Amino acid sequence: MSEEIREEKHFCVFGIGEREFLIPKESVIQVLDITKIFPIPGSPDYIVGALPVRGKIIPAIDLAKVYNIERINYSENKLLVLDVEGEKIGILSDITPFFVSFDKEIVVDDYLDPKKLYEELKIKQPSSNKTNENLP
Amino acid sequence: MIDQTELIKYFLLESEDYINTLLEGLEDLENKGFSQETLEAIYRATHTLKGSASIVKFNKIATLAHKLEDLFEAIINHEIQQDTSIINLVRRVVNSMINFINEVSQYNEEKSELDSNIVNLIDEIIEKKIILQTEESQDIYAPLPMINSVRVELGLIDSLFDILGEIIVQKNIISDREKELRNLVEDILKSGKKLFNEIISFSDRYWLAPLGEKTKVLDTFFTDFSDLEFDRYDEYHIFTRKIAEITNDINEGLNELISFSENLSSNFKTLGKEIITLKDSLLSIRMLPIGRLLNKISEAIKDTANNLGKQINIEIKGGDIKIDKPVFDLLYEPLIHILRNAIDHGIETPENRLSIGKPAKGNIKLLVRKEGKYVVISITDDGKGIDIDRVKEIALSRGLLTQEQMHYMNNEEILSYIFVPGFSTSEDVDFQSGRGMGLNIVKTSITKLKGTIEVYSELHKYTTFLIKIPQSLSITNLLIFRSSDLEFAVPINYIEEILTIEDFPDVKSEKLINHKNRFITVKVFSELYFSSNGKHSEKGYIIIFNFSGIRKALLVDDILGQEEVAIYPLGKFLEGLTQYIGYVLSAQGTPRFVIDPVKIFEEEFVFTISKPLTFESTAYIGTVLIVDDSISVRRSLQTLLEAKNLKVYAAKDGLEALNILEEKTVDIVITDLEMPVMHGYELINRIRKDIRFKDLPIIVLTSRGTKKHQEKAIDLGADGFLVKPFDEKTITELLSNFQILKNQIY
Repeated sequence: MSEEIREEKHFCVFGIGEREFLIPKESVIQVLDITKIFPIPGSPDYIVGALPVRGKIIPAIDLAKVYNIERINYSENKLLVLDVEGEKIGILSDITPFFVSFDKEIVVDDYLDPKKLYEELKIKQPSSNKTNENLP
Repeated sequence: MIDQTELIKYFLLESEDYINTLLEGLEDLENKGFSQETLEAIYRATHTLKGSASIVKFNKIATLAHKLEDLFEAIINHEIQQDTSIINLVRRVVNSMINFINEVSQYNEEKSELDSNIVNLIDEIIEKKIILQTEESQDIYAPLPMINSVRVELGLIDSLFDILGEIIVQKNIISDREKELRNLVEDILKSGKKLFNEIISFSDRYWLAPLGEKTKVLDTFFTDFSDLEFDRYDEYHIFTRKIAEITNDINEGLNELISFSENLSSNFKTLGKEIITLKDSLLSIRMLPIGRLLNKISEAIKDTANNLGKQINIEIKGGDIKIDKPVFDLLYEPLIHILRNAIDHGIETPENRLSIGKPAKGNIKLLVRKEGKYVVISITDDGKGIDIDRVKEIALSRGLLTQEQMHYMNNEEILSYIFVPGFSTSEDVDFQSGRGMGLNIVKTSITKLKGTIEVYSELHKYTTFLIKIPQSLSITNLLIFRSSDLEFAVPINYIEEILTIEDFPDVKSEKLINHKNRFITVKVFSELYFSSNGKHSEKGYIIIFNFSGIRKALLVDDILGQEEVAIYPLGKFLEGLTQYIGYVLSAQGTPRFVIDPVKIFEEEFVFTISKPLTFESTAYIGTVLIVDDSISVRRSLQTLLEAKNLKVYAAKDGLEALNILEEKTVDIVITDLEMPVMHGYELINRIRKDIRFKDLPIIVLTSRGTKKHQEKAIDLGADGFLVKPFDEKTITELLSNFQILKNQIY
């Protein structure tokens, strides 16, 4: 038993209000200080805006709006930038995110699958009014 | 006409590809056996080579390619045995073609004679369907001409553009920083001068002041001298002198800093110029002369005309104007569509033409010219022209337009409805002298190119399509505007005019302006995406868009200027926000979302397009008759009420209103008082006298809000009173009082 190699999984922990979420460490590419977020008119309310980073914009998502979490204070706002299949999206965190490792066998609560999250929150194209557009 | 040498250059480039495909194909046939796939590949290569060669009139190469094409076709169809012995013959032909290509590259023409032996041999083989043995040909091919160019994937150039875009952003940021630096330096310089002056004047004053008895000189340097030997110094003197010297040094340094920052800004200017040159030359890399495209298309069109027994002459002007490669590729379909239409439906048969006094040969003009960063292509045929009355009929019958709408549209606007989807639905529909279907597809393609298309026509004389497209797709000319404290951009190509709000004080409430005798509906940008429109800015601009003759307007808070930039896509996560084409970054790095004007007004188009012909439909929750002599009042009220699912009839005076009442069932009348022919009082009087209408609710709509007018109207039998300008809420409330909107869900 003593020689057993323990496989571990690495996560990034971030928080919204009283809650904490885990996300796989591999998908986190950077953590930014939020200076100014520019609103994107017409987007759903969970997208608080866009943050310009190196000539490109990163959409900032507030999961509090998605999971109905109440915020007590907006103390320390950070943006956790995730890479989901080459696309960058940002998630607001009320705490400075930190990394943890668990044994591979442990099932973690409050785990977020970045790909799923991305697909769920992605802005869907309006289905109507498209009929004539895509004719050959 | 396009420069021939330019065309030859492209031909050489292309032919190299096709020859290589052929050679590789032959290798494969020999080594891997005959596969249908390889055969088809080399068949296609010869076919295209034939086409390209005939455009530049290299008939010998074209003939050889043609023969090979026939031969390959026969092999593909198993008419000739698929045997490697044929390859030698093919090699000879290919070699012969390479020789011609070499001659072309050297002398711009085919010098040597065509080897008729080979041609005959192929003909014989195809005819007799057996492979005749030919003498062994050498396996070595003549080398292809050296062409001093490389082929680059468009994607590579695109990524260079991305990098360039980034460089421009960074440069702009640095430029701004540099300005800040200059201001800072100037401020410091000013303070430095002040300090210097202070010191000087202080020391001057102090110098002249007599020394007090008690001041003692402490500096040993001075105490070693007697008073007579040296001016009298005390510590203040020395201090001020030192300060003056230091200040002087600082000043000196500041002056250097100033000249440094001046140099820096001139360096930046040079850098800026270089970046622009870089951008332009990068753009020119993927620019192609439009003549290549037009030549290709006219060849295809001549075939179509021949098949239809029509004679045409195609005139091309401005073929040397260059366009971006992606634009070039995307233009092929729409252009060929328009030209096919011109031949199918426009140009008459030679007999027909002669009988109406036109020359037998139809004439098609393709004129290309540059307008700034745009390329304008006009396609004119001298055929039947478009019958505007038929267009009106069809628009009416398909429910695209109503009589009333047509009333205040000019011919150009009505004509533009031929681009509307569903205008004609079948390929066979040829509205007499007009064009068949597919124009909406043409329009969609042009729109994708950020271009516009317009149509002009005179019956029996001509039809002209005017296409305006940006020369390049990567850099767009944008108008920057502000709304609700955010900055946005919109491509300039649809913008026709910008008006100030001062000339249209009621635009915010009426959402309609009358400009140059056109009624244009206005959208208030801040109301589109912002729920709160807290502060109303006094300033305002109305941007008029022209979508192929259909005009729409957008009200914004402020116009910030114009910029030429590369638009970045929003990315997959945000692409559902179809109202935006993408975004650009300001020099300061602030994102500006680029709105798609077509999308912003889309529902309106869809509304006019898909409005079904259910005039007496029961889908309406009620019927309203509007009587007013002002068309804008009628229009805005109608739009407002129709949005509430009410059927609306409109009359411009009392008499018209009575006629409508005779024919239609009306639930409520809204009438103006002052009107020509029959005014409102009389209308109310007449309605009330008619036993059928004694309970019909009547609302008076007037700008005369005085008690006297109200009382008179009520006396005559009016049931309600509405003072202009009206707002939606008041009307809704009023109508619900009369049970008209009792079930309304709004």
